[in-house]
Amino acid sequence: MPRLTADLVLGLAALALALAALLLWLPADTGSGIVERIRGQYRIGDAMGPAVAFGILILAGLVLAIEAWLKPVSGQRPSGLGRAQLGFLLLLFVIFLISLLAMRWTGPALASLLTEGGYRSLRASLPWKYLGYVTGGTILVGSLIALAERRPSVRAFVIGFLAALLLAMFYDLPFKDFLLPPNGDV
Amino acid sequence: MDYVLMGIGAVFGGPELFSLAGIGIPAAPAMLFLGLLTGIAVGATPGLAGPMAMAVSLPILISIFGVRPDALLPVFGFLIGIMKGATVGGAVPAVLFNIPGTPDAFMTTLDGYPMTRRGMPRRALKIAHLSSVTGDTLSDIALFVCAPFLAVLVERFLDLPEKTALILLSLTFIAAVMGSSVGKGLIAIGLGMLAAMVATGQDFHPRLTLGIEALGQGFPMVSAVLGILILGEIFWTLDDHWRGRVSRDTAQTADAGPDGLRKGDVKRILPHVLRSSLIGTVIGALPGVGSTLAATLGYTWGRKVHGRRKTPEQADFGEGAPEGIAATEAANSAVSGANLIPVLSLGIPGNAAAVFLILAADSIGGFNPGPGVFTFSHPQINPELVVAFGIFTLMALGNLLNWTIGGAFMRGMGIMSRVPIRYLLPVVLLVTLTAIYVQDPRLGALWTAFGFGVLGYLFRCLRIPHLPFVIAFILAGSLENAARQAFSATGGDPFFLFSSWVSTAFMLMAIATVFLAGRAPGEGRG
Repeated sequence: MPRLTADLVLGLAALALALAALLLWLPADTGSGIVERIRGQYRIGDAMGPAVAFGILILAGLVLAIEAWLKPVSGQRPSGLGRAQLGFLLLLFVIFLISLLAMRWTGPALASLLTEGGYRSLRASLPWKYLGYVTGGTILVGSLIALAERRPSVRAFVIGFLAALLLAMFYDLPFKDFLLPPNGDV
Repeated sequence: MDYVLMGIGAVFGGPELFSLAGIGIPAAPAMLFLGLLTGIAVGATPGLAGPMAMAVSLPILISIFGVRPDALLPVFGFLIGIMKGATVGGAVPAVLFNIPGTPDAFMTTLDGYPMTRRGMPRRALKIAHLSSVTGDTLSDIALFVCAPFLAVLVERFLDLPEKTALILLSLTFIAAVMGSSVGKGLIAIGLGMLAAMVATGQDFHPRLTLGIEALGQGFPMVSAVLGILILGEIFWTLDDHWRGRVSRDTAQTADAGPDGLRKGDVKRILPHVLRSSLIGTVIGALPGVGSTLAATLGYTWGRKVHGRRKTPEQADFGEGAPEGIAATEAANSAVSGANLIPVLSLGIPGNAAAVFLILAADSIGGFNPGPGVFTFSHPQINPELVVAFGIFTLMALGNLLNWTIGGAFMRGMGIMSRVPIRYLLPVVLLVTLTAIYVQDPRLGALWTAFGFGVLGYLFRCLRIPHLPFVIAFILAGSLENAARQAFSATGGDPFFLFSSWVSTAFMLMAIATVFLAGRAPGEGRG
């Protein structure tokens, strides 16, 4: 008796979502139809490409559902998404968010505290142009090493700091036209 | 022949990188050399792969050489060097430490590591090098012969409807042969096409943006491709470490002692090398079929033959047989050259390395991989054809370097296998993000890459193959343009894809591929 496997759920979800997108989203979010007539000539409209893509997704959902229904997996670690994966993604998102916030705001925050001109006028000079990148990079690399080791350590953040500093120098010193994050945004 | 000479001339007579004792060193061969060394080091480092190095180096190369036509060959030289070096270097951790740096090197561990434990690491590495470089060289010869021939055939016999049908056939084929099921491959293709279609099109209204202003320019190709390929892989591997699925034991190394190639080794492995090279070349010429399948087939076939012909004193496959290393390494290396056949002749990338060559061509301009490249115009010179023969020259030169100095450098790279991957991957992540930012200096581009990285991670969790997504993302624009032009050229014929026997055959093959290649989910082919 076939079971409700992750692949069957994935196939049915792809089928339902693609069908809904084809019928509801596509007509509402494209400027021209699948085919349109301009000055007596027919041409393919902007909706054709996405319609084909949704069509492929509908076919994919059907094929996957049939595959999963007829030939249930045995003996292999089942694929799927669980709490563990979603928890990992949440941690990853938090690390990325904090790192990018530090990257974006460390320089401007320190500049507003210590200078009168603000960060923008300093962003091409040392050490200001490295501040955000090295701070954010240290947090990103250090936190990810801590995540992989399942414990935070000074060593992880020292590696992060050294890696970020070396990379900043690697990209900045020989290549004058490269902008390190966040200097293209401020 | 004129074009061949012009291609060679473009490589050796191009811009100079530096001057040595008053002699100018041409940039393209010098970059090839540097790329080869980088590639061997990257291949020898478990967890790193050629595409990662290509992704990181591309913006740096473009910054050094600019976006002029004469930048093409030096940039391609470095990327081709990485591709060739990584192919050879991948055997190092497999042989010395029983760590398959890449999935296709798993079979190499089966015989390579037992040889190391028996005190023959140098012999195992030399056999791996010899087999790998032979496979790569034979595969490149197939590329040099087949790509122009195929491209000329395509240009001569295929019109717009046939080209549209051919792209569709390629996409369905890739969906069918990659990953754990046809359905999942098709999901990747459908999503890749959708992602490419956001905010593109010919109408004033930016399509499929949900009214979100930030999506008004669509998804940048660099962020999307690096997100799925590189960030997704990093997240997946970090998750493995986080959940403790990775053993942190350091591999046991044996006392090397005096060892090296023995008399008769070359004769012993030659039939296996030739057979596996043929297998790898045929598989590599099919877009999307990975080197893992080639390695598995080469090894399995080699084991059958070895079982029948071996003498009692020779080791069995899996117990340290040099033939086992040869069968695997020749097969997986022969994939890399042949993989460029669909890129150069059809414009269809078959693997991640080809994706980065297309990205480089796209960033620099002046070279559009596809059948149009092989237009032998006379007396007008086709500059794209000169670049194509320049690429062939670089590949031949890369093989020569690999034959001569590659082996020694490869054996010296054993140290890279000891770098802990849990320290390396976060640094690679930062390097990749920096590479994205220097090309597109907006923090939004990093968030886009992160989003695609999460998508790549989810693909890996659900065993959806990620490469079809990238290939569909790249090909969606060409497919849509070809379909628009074909539809107009046939006077608005709704059945334009069935307007000739060739396009009808392609479409029937595409449909048959989907329905005949069905298999149980879980039977992944890498």
